[in-house]
Amino acid sequence: MSELQNHGMEEKQQRKQTVAFALLGGVIIAAILLVTTIWASGKARSSTSQAVKRVSEFYLEELAGRRAQVVSEELKNHVTYMKNALDILEPSYLESQESLREFLGKVKKLYGVDKFALVDENGIVYAQHSTTSGLSRYGFLSQELTEPVIHTQNLYGARKQVILAIPVEDVFFQGVQIKICFIQINISEMLSSLTLQTNDNETYCNLYYRNGESLTNDSFGYLTAGKNLLVALEEAEMQEGSSCERLREDFENGRRGQISFRYQGAEEELCYVPVEGTNWMLTILIRNNVIREQIGSISTEMMERSIIQIIITVLVMLVVFSLLIHQSRKSAQFLLEQEKADGNRIRAAYAQIEREQTAMDNIHAALGSGLWSMEFNARGELISCTWSDVFRRMVGYESKEDFPDRMESWSDLLHEEDKERVLIEYWDTVKDYTNEKTYNVEYRLLTKHAGWRWFHAAGRLSRREDGSPITFVGLFVDIDDEKQMEELLKRQKIDLQDALAAAQHANKAKTTFLNNMSHDIRTPMNAIIGFTSLAATHIDNREQVQDYLSKITTSSNHLLSLINDVLDMSRIESGKVKIEEKETSLPEVMHDLKTIVQADITSRQLEFYIDTADVVNEHVLCDKLRLNQVLLNLLSNAMKFTKPGGMVSVRILQKGNTPEGFASYEFQVKDTGVGMSREFLEHVFEPFEREKTTTISGIQGTGLGMAITKNIVDMMGGTITVDSKEGKGSTFTVDLQFRICSGPVRQDEIPQLKGLRALVADDDFNTCSSVTKMLSTIGMRPDWTTSGKEAVLRVKLARDQNDSYAAYIIDWLMPDMNGIEVVRRVRGIIGDEAPIIILTAYDWSDIEEEARKAGVTAFCSKPIFLSELREILESPFTMQAMEKGEEEQASFEGKKILLVEDNELNQEIAVEILQEEGFMMDVADDGMVAVEKLKEAVPGQYDLVLMDIQMPILNGYEATKQIRALNKPGISDIPIIAMTANAFDEDKKAALEAGMNGHIAKPIDIPKLMEILTEILKQD
Amino acid sequence: MAGEEDCGAVHGEGYGKGAGKKEWRRQGFAFIIWIAISCVSGLGLAGCGEKTEDGVSDVSGETVEESSHSAESHNPPARVVNFGRELDGYRPLKKEYNFYFTYKLVHPWWDAVALGIENAAREYEEMGIVINYEYLAPDEASARDQIRRMSEASGRGFDVIGVDVADVDIVAPAINELMAGGQKIMTFSSSDAAKEDGCDRIAYVGNTHNYEDGAALTEALCKRLEYSGKIALLVGIEEAPCHEDRARGVQDVIGKYPDMEIVEIAYDEDSVENACELTREMLKRHEDLAGIVCCNMSNPVGAARAVIEAGLQGEIVIVGMDHDQEALRYLRDGIIYALGVQDCYSIGYDTIQVAVKIADGLLPGEAYPEKTQEMTTIIYQDSASEALQMLYGEID
Repeated sequence: MSELQNHGMEEKQQRKQTVAFALLGGVIIAAILLVTTIWASGKARSSTSQAVKRVSEFYLEELAGRRAQVVSEELKNHVTYMKNALDILEPSYLESQESLREFLGKVKKLYGVDKFALVDENGIVYAQHSTTSGLSRYGFLSQELTEPVIHTQNLYGARKQVILAIPVEDVFFQGVQIKICFIQINISEMLSSLTLQTNDNETYCNLYYRNGESLTNDSFGYLTAGKNLLVALEEAEMQEGSSCERLREDFENGRRGQISFRYQGAEEELCYVPVEGTNWMLTILIRNNVIREQIGSISTEMMERSIIQIIITVLVMLVVFSLLIHQSRKSAQFLLEQEKADGNRIRAAYAQIEREQTAMDNIHAALGSGLWSMEFNARGELISCTWSDVFRRMVGYESKEDFPDRMESWSDLLHEEDKERVLIEYWDTVKDYTNEKTYNVEYRLLTKHAGWRWFHAAGRLSRREDGSPITFVGLFVDIDDEKQMEELLKRQKIDLQDALAAAQHANKAKTTFLNNMSHDIRTPMNAIIGFTSLAATHIDNREQVQDYLSKITTSSNHLLSLINDVLDMSRIESGKVKIEEKETSLPEVMHDLKTIVQADITSRQLEFYIDTADVVNEHVLCDKLRLNQVLLNLLSNAMKFTKPGGMVSVRILQKGNTPEGFASYEFQVKDTGVGMSREFLEHVFEPFEREKTTTISGIQGTGLGMAITKNIVDMMGGTITVDSKEGKGSTFTVDLQFRICSGPVRQDEIPQLKGLRALVADDDFNTCSSVTKMLSTIGMRPDWTTSGKEAVLRVKLARDQNDSYAAYIIDWLMPDMNGIEVVRRVRGIIGDEAPIIILTAYDWSDIEEEARKAGVTAFCSKPIFLSELREILESPFTMQAMEKGEEEQASFEGKKILLVEDNELNQEIAVEILQEEGFMMDVADDGMVAVEKLKEAVPGQYDLVLMDIQMPILNGYEATKQIRALNKPGISDIPIIAMTANAFDEDKKAALEAGMNGHIAKPIDIPKLMEILTEILKQD
Repeated sequence: MAGEEDCGAVHGEGYGKGAGKKEWRRQGFAFIIWIAISCVSGLGLAGCGEKTEDGVSDVSGETVEESSHSAESHNPPARVVNFGRELDGYRPLKKEYNFYFTYKLVHPWWDAVALGIENAAREYEEMGIVINYEYLAPDEASARDQIRRMSEASGRGFDVIGVDVADVDIVAPAINELMAGGQKIMTFSSSDAAKEDGCDRIAYVGNTHNYEDGAALTEALCKRLEYSGKIALLVGIEEAPCHEDRARGVQDVIGKYPDMEIVEIAYDEDSVENACELTREMLKRHEDLAGIVCCNMSNPVGAARAVIEAGLQGEIVIVGMDHDQEALRYLRDGIIYALGVQDCYSIGYDTIQVAVKIADGLLPGEAYPEKTQEMTTIIYQDSASEALQMLYGEID
């Protein structure tokens, strides 16, 4: 107990001693600091004063130099501005005084100068608003300038001006040479950026000429504003080392320098530097005494504050010192214990790290992932880069020699497509001082043995406190297999998606097709079934039954056309339709077209005309059938959608610019029908598309016609376009290019008609133009008119002038006077001397007699082609009517036909039809039966065989082959005509190949059947 | 005809220039001071009195203000040429004006007039009013050339044409013809063609007191010579009104002092060389010559050159007209004793102000006088350097 007490006492005593020492030490330190501070302050005051002077001198020189440079640069800049302005002085600005003034004004405004002017060789000064003679105020400009000149001038009293002038070359205004360009700047404005004078009136800056005269009117210390500096400073008291003489010499020689002086009681420091390129001196004045007083005041104040700070500091130090001693004792004990505990923890942690490191190495080795690391210095620059052996092996290298620890070892192997992305990722990660970013990137590397392979790299950075990187460590994994799998899956997915889309589309198309077909077939079928039922009911009422049968026929025809279209479409889409080019006469195509539609046109009470223009090549190689189909489809469509009284037209035009051996044609089918909506126009060529209003108007259609047409045109290598307006009508234009199969129509003149006059009268201008051109081609002098009355007048006039027309081509229907009447009147004038040709798009049989009585020489059908016109005019102008060949009516009486048909109904129909025509009929209900019959038949027993194709035992082809194979002359060569529902080209071809002589499609088109029979039996 | 540029008069403070209240007060104060000086100095201005022409504006009330005769009292250059002018507050009716001015010949005197024109135009521009002008003259004075220029200009749509009349007899009919054709014409600077000359011009801005100028210069010379001695009189062109008027002023003043005598009168035809040669001969003929009075701009330059050649600088007292740069240098160097400097700047400045009013359709009256006269100031050696710097930017 007593030991403890003693120990406590000792400790207490020791503590007291420590405190006493601390206090004493504090007081001593305070005293020393106090004394040294006072001593140092005294010294500092003196040193500061000298330092201030040195600093002032240095500062002044630096300041003056910089400002002089600013002035010099300002002047140089202005010279540059002038040169720039002259560079943009375009000749257009020199055309007149106004344009020159405009230019000068723009430049003046651009560079913000008082004046921008040009001086010509006569001394005329051109400025923005003035033109003046007299240069005395710019006396220096009267000399020949070879380089830029700077001058000052008191042009407006206080408004001192700087004038910068440069010589000008090769610029002429109104014939006079411009010699000089100059600008005028207010010196105060030019120097405003210098801040020549400070607000505290302790520093001044000014510009002087080298003779001491002031450039500005600013005050300068105690010097009167504008006063001569050298003169003024003669009154100053110069300090040691300074003199007025030195100042004057420095000014005269443009040298920089400094002087100290006392002027009007103030100690001042003057620094002066020359301004480059001028005779100016830039001066800066600073007042030493003012600064010295301020420095002294600051020194005293600083000393007082220092003493107080020292005392406070010592006291605080003592307190803090005591507290620190006390605390350090407590802390030492605590730290000792902590240290032991930390030591144990650290050892344990190290052991753990080692274990984890080992485990990680094993994992990397097991995973096959490579390691890489980089180190950076404090400036963030890469200083080392290390690739693990596993990494090297992954890219196919074994040693550091092959794959050194350098960044380039890796980056050189990067795939070009990945390089930029990878490097961006790398730099983004390195530069991300927030350290939130993880380097994570996939790329391809060129491995030594396995070519390009995909790798995945990921890494993180450790950073210093300022964020700069220290190390960058990461993993590197070969993911090529996964990538390939991924690619494969992606491709499969796309394929599957495509397949799905195609399937869905096909399904949808199928549904649409079925829906449409269901509707389209049911509609006529409904009519057929309904009217058949009604006919059966009213079988005794002949008229009613005939009406029903007529309606059934209509519906049947529609159903047939629907089926034909569907099959056509199907065949087109499946590529079975081939374009077969044969020599084709375009006039024939057009005339056939007219013949085909004429009946429909008449029944529908439509106006119709066909027109041609510039058709030079009338014979081409093309698929006539398909061309006809296209034109008929378009024409049928036009007729279908045009109300009675409307107009439908076809126009064929040969276009230029085609390769040699080819000709381009434009077929234009136009109507004034109901037209199409803009929305429908986009789908007009898609299958099953019908304008909604179609149903309402009661017009039937499969909706396939246009699609088929488009497909055929596409197959023929052409284009089809449509232009339509609702309520106005539609125009379909087909552009096709064909190979020419014969030379152009003869273009030479007809000698007999050369130079003779011809008159064309047609209310359609295009026809007039076209026929006129043709007439010119054959050497005639054509006139034309669109009026029948005018035509008659012209004929009279020509007669009066003794220059009558040698030929007349007159349209049948003209608004003001019909063609027959015109002919009648013309004949009244000219007599019978010249041929008059009636041109018409219509069937003229009804009026032929009347026309001939009126004096018509010939009829010509529109469209008229050059070859046709030529033919007519070359003929001796006699009555060469377009004799309608009365077809020799073939007689089938007594002709014997073997009908091979398995369907009883069809047998019945065929037998009925043919017996009506006079044939004697025998029937075989299968190919086999037919062959047997013919084997047994004697020559002449049958004149012809009509052969169905699809039959249960022996089909038509085989039957034909067997018949042809019979060794029975007069039987084996009997004409066999296929009569089948297999109506496609390939079916016809197959029939011919099997040995048949012809082909006719079911349902039977009676006239066509008769035509074929006539032809074949005739040959026979 | 060179030399007519110096047809100015001593000290007429321009009417209508500035016209702000401050300016009026300042001019009024100057007038009072002048009266006081005149009274104290006892210098009568007999023969230099106001030529009371109708419509001539003269703020001081006198055409001639006696300038100081001693070198101790001078007019600072800022007053010699009044660069502190301000526009008179008139609000022009248009936003843009086009003027054509033609003067006698290219010469520094008219370049100073051009300065005033330019500055007035600039100040109008600051108000948003554009003054476009041409200020052109031939190298040698020619009345025919003036008529040609005016005729051409009248076809170019200028609002006003200003002319410094080279020859009244020739130019006045042309002015009348153009006026009759609707062209507005004014005269300006050195020479007028007034109503009494049969000219219909609208107004005149310039000097109207050449007689007084000559008289005042001669008074200065007489005082310097203490009213005793022989003097020679150099004139520019015989029959040039401004020159002759000044010469008459000289003769009248000399006539007042019995101990003074004009020994020779010579005309230099506005040529410095002629003036120099004439002076040389005069010096030879009159060894006791005490002074030379020069009535135009070329006279004093030629006279000074001859005096320097003769080594008589300081012995021959030369007084002359105008602010030729060489003459100002001789003044600075003490070769010339005094120069009468016309306020060419104000002539130009007021010309523009009057032209704007004419263009606006105003006739002489309240808005501006028919004749706006400008001041001429006699300056001495101690003002020469400042005048050189102010007028020519020349630094010693």
